[in-house]
Amino acid sequence: MKPDLGTRLVTAAIMLLLATTFVCYAIGDAPRRSLLKETLSLLTLSSFALVLGQFHLTRCNPVVEGQIQPRRLQWLHKAIAYGALSVLLLHPVLIVLPRYFEAGVRPQDAFITMLTTFDNLGTVLGLAAWVVMIALGLTSLFRLRLMKHFALRYRTWRYIHAGLASGFVGLALWHAIDIGRHTDLVMSGLFIVLAVTGIGLLARRYHGELPRHAPTPQGAKT
Amino acid sequence: MTIKSINGCIGCGECVKSCPCDVIRLDPSTGKAVIAYPADCQICHLCRMYCPVDAIEISPDKTIPVIVAWG
Amino acid sequence: MTSPVSTPCPSRREFLAFGGALTGLAAVGASAGWAQNQPQVDASTVNGTDHTTDVLVIGGGMAGLFAAVKAHDAGARVLMVSKGRLGASGLTPFAKGFFVFDPTKETLSIDEFTEQVNRSALGTNNPVFTRQLAEHALDRARDLKDWGFFDQTLCHRAFLKPMADRKIPVMERVMITHLIKHDDQIAGAAGFRLDGEEIVVCRAKSVILCTGAGGFKPSGFPVCDLTHDGSIMAYKIGARITGKEWNDGHSTRAVNPAACYDNWGDMFDRVPGTNGVEVHHDLGVDANYVAYQTGNPLPGGPPGVLADGRIGGGPTTPAEFERRAPEDGDAGPPPLGGGRGGPPGAGKGGAPGPMDAPQMGGASAGMSIHKSEGLVPIDDRGASTVPGLYAAGDALGSHMSGGIYTQIGSSLAGSAVQGAIAGAAAADLAMSTKLTVIPDTQLTSIREEILAPLRREAGYGPAWVTQVLQGIMIPNFVLYIKKDSMLRAALAYVEELRDHHLPMLRAADMHELRLAVETSNMVLSAEMKLRASLMRTESRCSHYRLDYPETDDANWRAWINIYQGADGSMQLAKQPFDAWPESA
Repeated sequence: MKPDLGTRLVTAAIMLLLATTFVCYAIGDAPRRSLLKETLSLLTLSSFALVLGQFHLTRCNPVVEGQIQPRRLQWLHKAIAYGALSVLLLHPVLIVLPRYFEAGVRPQDAFITMLTTFDNLGTVLGLAAWVVMIALGLTSLFRLRLMKHFALRYRTWRYIHAGLASGFVGLALWHAIDIGRHTDLVMSGLFIVLAVTGIGLLARRYHGELPRHAPTPQGAKT
Repeated sequence: MTIKSINGCIGCGECVKSCPCDVIRLDPSTGKAVIAYPADCQICHLCRMYCPVDAIEISPDKTIPVIVAWG
Repeated sequence: MTSPVSTPCPSRREFLAFGGALTGLAAVGASAGWAQNQPQVDASTVNGTDHTTDVLVIGGGMAGLFAAVKAHDAGARVLMVSKGRLGASGLTPFAKGFFVFDPTKETLSIDEFTEQVNRSALGTNNPVFTRQLAEHALDRARDLKDWGFFDQTLCHRAFLKPMADRKIPVMERVMITHLIKHDDQIAGAAGFRLDGEEIVVCRAKSVILCTGAGGFKPSGFPVCDLTHDGSIMAYKIGARITGKEWNDGHSTRAVNPAACYDNWGDMFDRVPGTNGVEVHHDLGVDANYVAYQTGNPLPGGPPGVLADGRIGGGPTTPAEFERRAPEDGDAGPPPLGGGRGGPPGAGKGGAPGPMDAPQMGGASAGMSIHKSEGLVPIDDRGASTVPGLYAAGDALGSHMSGGIYTQIGSSLAGSAVQGAIAGAAAADLAMSTKLTVIPDTQLTSIREEILAPLRREAGYGPAWVTQVLQGIMIPNFVLYIKKDSMLRAALAYVEELRDHHLPMLRAADMHELRLAVETSNMVLSAEMKLRASLMRTESRCSHYRLDYPETDDANWRAWINIYQGADGSMQLAKQPFDAWPESA
């Protein structure tokens, strides 16, 4: 099947997002390391950028809505989610993975040190974001069963999903800006803009859906 | 520079403890490692090797004049 | 915090000559020489903590580990104090070869091994310690294997295992500056914490110095945290010090000479391993002689290539131990700490590049041969002339290898063996003695001495004094190619630093306080090296006198012991080879 205009538009947008992330990485001041380490860094940065892009890749986005079939949009949203979240799920392990291939602290020791460092906000935020991300992933995977079990309406589930997603992105962004190797001013700026506009779209949509109050009669002055 | 940069520090303090020459300290305001005494770095890379998140970058140049036995 | 030396550095070449060094000092002097002190620490508010134990182990390297573990296993309460981190300070983290004498694998007996070392060392080794090494090294290697030492590059975790299993307390980043003696018996030690404004007092029935040796904070050898702290503290309370005239002759690469990691090839990355008997006579000082006679540049290469008779005279190697030219596929020089392994960078199997890179000398300047310098032992268990004070490893002048590197891998193994033996001995003593009560007045004066540099309103920066000392001591015509006139000239400089500058060292924070103590220790060590070198009017092993190039067996089958006279002056005395000190 020949991709429709909407699909091509969305694909181009995703490519642009990745390209922008790569450019921010390229002009950043973090020192270059081995091929493996740089590949892992780029993979992680791209994944996070794509997760931020998810907010834009919904019906909340007036540019996307109407251009692309809802089913196709949902498929894209899912594919990116499972791909990017898998990388971020492994992010703590990927940080220490290169130690398997070089001298220094053993990866398992590094992993324990890293996960038991609570003196600094950065790791605590990262762990919290990771837990919220797990919740986000599991609720999405078992959406239908959850909805059936708790007799949830689709809209309620959507609020839960958006809430978890916003919470995850908030924590992860703070974590990344606090201790990220590549989150200098430019990269942080990119992520913040993506997050703020994305969550803004969400808020706009949901705000629009809120039932409007009936006008309160003012009454006449007496 | 000797220790060139510290990127992605999580503030665990492994480098502070494992530096034989007491070059690195944790900044009390940020909780992260800073190169406090670069002149005393002996370029042994122990800090880098002990860092759990591989945050430390080291250059082979010394910041102070190097005195050797012949030239 | 004092500002680090940040004057724009003139090019490296300018500093390679003695004159260049002095030019540099003048430039550096503006920011780091005499100046007002701007303390970040208020000396009057520094706290104190008091600790009591049976056996106090000072130092957390290979010797300290075994001293602590074996003293504990012998039933004593043990406390370890280290200037750095357990297994991550001194030379231990960089030593990758561990000598074992495995009788099932060796073709020669322990007697034959001891004799072979003795021939290479030209009598300078103490065969009691050489034999002890061969007898115990395999058992210590087995202990280390159980703790995971041979499974990883870094040794902190492996060292932590036996310490944690036994719940032996470790105080890291505490610099001990004073040994405390009372009623002619060791009573403890005192120092300060690097991370807090705190004076630390440790009361103990016996003390084991596992403080390593030291250097002049040289470039290209990872010894900049070792400044003979143990020997100098011990010297000041009456211990005898030996082996100061020998020279470790490691060189470094001409490009980025200070970069230890880069210049040692892959060695710092390696996982430690064991090796068997391989006796050499690795000089190191020969390269200094070639550079002295022919000038720079000096080619790189494995040990021995310089002594191929291209130039006449110079330090000599006994014919039995002369090295053949290396063939392709040679395993490469031995690891650091195991003996002089030739130029840094020569990794296992031949690391790319650095093997043939031009060399610079003085990488380990200020350090003698491993195990040769340090406290004079009065028995084979590491006891010193001060009752209750023991030493092990590079802090003990055991002359296990002699005044030359003989057995590869013996340095690391020797520290393990000697640490274990001294640990048991110190525990035995602690079980049969009572804690000596230290008078409060003595503690008060020690506290004041420690804090003095923080209290000075003006004075000399320790970094500057250290650089002046390096400029005086490190040139090869002073430290390596010795002659009477230069040794005396250097001694005059060093005496000036000792009398005029040491009393005026200033410190703005705990880091600089550490530098002040280290500088002071280095200056006294320099004086010891110069006086011992002047006294030994012959050439033997790694001690080379241009004015006395021959070995003088008639007068010099003796070690030199250094001690403080009744008037505080430095005294030197001979102790014949193969004899224990008369005071024992």
